[in-house]
Amino acid sequence: MDEKRNELKKIIMDTRTLPTLPGVIHKLNSLTENDKASVQEMARIVSSDQVLSARILRLANSPSYGFYRVSTISNAMILLGVNVVKSLALSSSIFEIMEKNSVGLWEHSLAVGVAANLIARKLNLPECEEISTAALLHDIGKVIISLKCSEAEQLIRDMIRDRGMYMRDAERETIDTDHAEVGGWLAKSWFLPDKLSEPISFHHDVALSGNHRIKTAVVHIADVLIKACGFGDSGDCYVPQIQQIAWDVLKFNEQAMAEIIDELEDKLVEVKNFSLELQGSDAPAY
Amino acid sequence: MQKIPLLRATAGMVLARDVFRNDNPVGMPICGKQTVLSDTLITRLDHLNVKAIYVEGHPVWEEGDRSLEDMLAELDRRFEKVRNDPLTLKVYDMFVEHLKRSMGDNGGREAK
Repeated sequence: MDEKRNELKKIIMDTRTLPTLPGVIHKLNSLTENDKASVQEMARIVSSDQVLSARILRLANSPSYGFYRVSTISNAMILLGVNVVKSLALSSSIFEIMEKNSVGLWEHSLAVGVAANLIARKLNLPECEEISTAALLHDIGKVIISLKCSEAEQLIRDMIRDRGMYMRDAERETIDTDHAEVGGWLAKSWFLPDKLSEPISFHHDVALSGNHRIKTAVVHIADVLIKACGFGDSGDCYVPQIQQIAWDVLKFNEQAMAEIIDELEDKLVEVKNFSLELQGSDAPAY
Repeated sequence: MQKIPLLRATAGMVLARDVFRNDNPVGMPICGKQTVLSDTLITRLDHLNVKAIYVEGHPVWEEGDRSLEDMLAELDRRFEKVRNDPLTLKVYDMFVEHLKRSMGDNGGREAK
């Protein structure tokens, strides 16, 4: 079975067949390694690619981050941090696929981003933006699986429909791995920092997260809440069990949870609106 | 009361809450509650970048919109695999409470 998984890993991680990365990313990568590089310099490089800048700004203005208006790349870099902007740039091509081909998953991802942001703010956690980004990216493995293993994906969907399985279990049975692990591979191959790759890899198993358990716990609970709301489409409709360890590590209490559930309703309307606008703006004008 | 995206607003709906500018949510309201929406007003709100409004009743019924009973039944179905877990069950109860509150006393049925 391990063979099958390794083979799949090789196929999935074959960078030549991954959605293309803009050349800007490489320049940005080398700049971020250089301690002396200024934010302005990095912003100038990103801004030189207009399509990429537009995509980054659109994501920075999504309800997942809760800013009112981010109008320039250097603003985005200061507000969100260079790491976040870099991850948005890296994943923008994947998000584009999601926006077009799997609106349900796109809405689910945005909504989990929103919920994670709410939780992080409610609990006064540091690095809210990183948490939102990790949440936005948490199901990125699902896009890769559907891109790279479309036959298996059909099988997975059939299993969910006929046997009422969690998507993750169906994935394990079919391709011997799951979207969390695949997302983790992708995050590694993009050299995303651990604080983003851990929540992606372990959002179904918080105990495995070693260094960034709090962030992973937030993404896990945000995922549960959005599935409980029945918002978007993440593959199956079943709410996963909340892991006690996630609840404990965040020192969550019932009152905070009840407040978040109340606030979430308002925020989900924003997400729906944001997504409708995107669909509307992409539709051809007749 | 229902919060709807401005894209779904139509003339004749009644605002249930004051509308504020998106870029200044604590400033002066740009349109007061109890105002009856007209097409011109909706266009204006759109120009002012208002994304969502609260309206009286539950006027927007779209495909997929459900009554309180339907919503609770669906919630049950979504939680069906985790009903034995006490922690997740607690969260389930919070969702039930929230739904009952948010749909109002009439269970969200359209006012005659």
